[in-house]
Amino acid sequence: MAAPVNSRSDCWSVPEVYKHHEQQRVCISRPKYREGRKAKAVKVYTINLESRYLMVQGVPAIGVMTELIQLCALYGSVEEYRPLDEYPAEEFTEVYLVKFQKLTSARAAKRNMDEKSFYGGVLHVCYVPEYETVEDTRLKLQDRRSYIARAARKKTEATQESPVSSEAPTSSDKIPTSCDVTSRNEDTGEALSLSHYSEFPLLPLPPQEHCSFRQKSHRGLVPTEDKMGTLHNAFFNVEQQQAESLSSNPITSNREQGTEGRQGPNPGSGVRFIPRITNLESRKRKVEESGEPAANISGENESLIGPKLPEPAKLDMEDESLNTTVSLIRIQKCKRTIMKPIKSKNKSETVSSSIEQNGRMN
Amino acid sequence: MSSTEAPERFEYLQSLVTEFQDTDSEEAKEQVLANLANFAYDPKNMEYLRELQVPDLFLDMLTEENENFVEFGMGGLCNLSMDPKCREVILQSGGISLVTNCLSNRREETVLSAVTTLMNLATPATRPQISGPGILQCMLRFSLAESPRLRNLAAVFLQDCCSEEQRRFCIRGGFAFSAPVMQS
Repeated sequence: MAAPVNSRSDCWSVPEVYKHHEQQRVCISRPKYREGRKAKAVKVYTINLESRYLMVQGVPAIGVMTELIQLCALYGSVEEYRPLDEYPAEEFTEVYLVKFQKLTSARAAKRNMDEKSFYGGVLHVCYVPEYETVEDTRLKLQDRRSYIARAARKKTEATQESPVSSEAPTSSDKIPTSCDVTSRNEDTGEALSLSHYSEFPLLPLPPQEHCSFRQKSHRGLVPTEDKMGTLHNAFFNVEQQQAESLSSNPITSNREQGTEGRQGPNPGSGVRFIPRITNLESRKRKVEESGEPAANISGENESLIGPKLPEPAKLDMEDESLNTTVSLIRIQKCKRTIMKPIKSKNKSETVSSSIEQNGRMN
Repeated sequence: MSSTEAPERFEYLQSLVTEFQDTDSEEAKEQVLANLANFAYDPKNMEYLRELQVPDLFLDMLTEENENFVEFGMGGLCNLSMDPKCREVILQSGGISLVTNCLSNRREETVLSAVTTLMNLATPATRPQISGPGILQCMLRFSLAESPRLRNLAAVFLQDCCSEEQRRFCIRGGFAFSAPVMQS
């Protein structure tokens, strides 16, 4: 089944519901050899689609926000969360925005919570990278690049040393994994109590899951991603695991936040905004200081790359309707001028004296 | 990764590429292309994908009529181009100009993948080409887009891939945009 992306997606317009939030239909026509464990839509995931920010739709509107966040916290520290009242929601359901500390936590949460039953409703979980700030985006890309570079270096070292040593990184992964499990011991009780009324299977914590995947790979039977290449949870690098084990207990910190939830992230936070006027003035000053002739914008001669700006609405200066207000004012003034001569005969003395005193016409 | 898994993985990826080349079904091609692009997200697979010449396959998709082919191919390149060796392969095959053309695509995902890929392809050698006037002005227009993702990516591009001189050139050229302070 082809991916249902046929409508115009003009980069200048912003839809009410972004296309990447929508659940696409699963593909049913895959040949057996490349069918995955779970039926999925035809979709490509890049770093641009992923984010620390998740949106959870389909949460029953019965006051279960705390339980939802506790569930999210099983996958990693939750930095912020809030209800998204402005987002269109189905009747009797609510939508929440959840910001995780780590992208890997968001990935694990999405993988495990999407399409799962929760208090009688079915959750739809998706990434919402549009809530990121510029700095968030930059850090996301940087983290991803350094992870890939590290993986490439490890692979080079592993192949240079010996074939067996490629298992060494995986065994070292287990050590911080167990640290992470220890820090979450308090959460285990929560997970058990949640499971019997949230209809979730007893959740293996992500590090344990990761551990079991690695063990399977040692036996050489099952690749870590499914046959469609969807992975999204397999690269727990060592540094990130250690960082997570050092972070505070997520459920305790969420209880302290109270039931209201904190405000969403300020889009401008962490970035210094320079007003446009300042930019114009600094540009003017630079032109005056440099005294150079205007630079030849060679780009204009080249073919235009990318979409053009939307053109401003053109104004017809000959249109009579533009003169409506002016005409009205003129008419009013004419009327007043006609009326004044009648009155001025009676008030001429007063007017002239007032002119003498004030030097102004009243 | 254990040694017994590696050949299986390679063979599986190879069967995907073979199916893509042999099948006449557009639908099957789209599915396989999306699979390969997703496999390209995992650094474990990059060496195999390079051996199977998948970077070139993705580059070929950028000039296809089918918009899904373009989108998935561009996504695959976005994933692969994070790896230094794959980056070299893409550059040697004239990737910059092909990817630059995708900046004009009407699908947002394709454009986003193209911007990210260009950032990944920036090296000291390629920087002059990647931060050329045409691309720079395109990014400046993107930084005014309503789409937050596109705006953010364009801002990161302008901050990271351009020199102070290039930014000054753009400001002198009359582009008024309220971007955050660009760090030199």
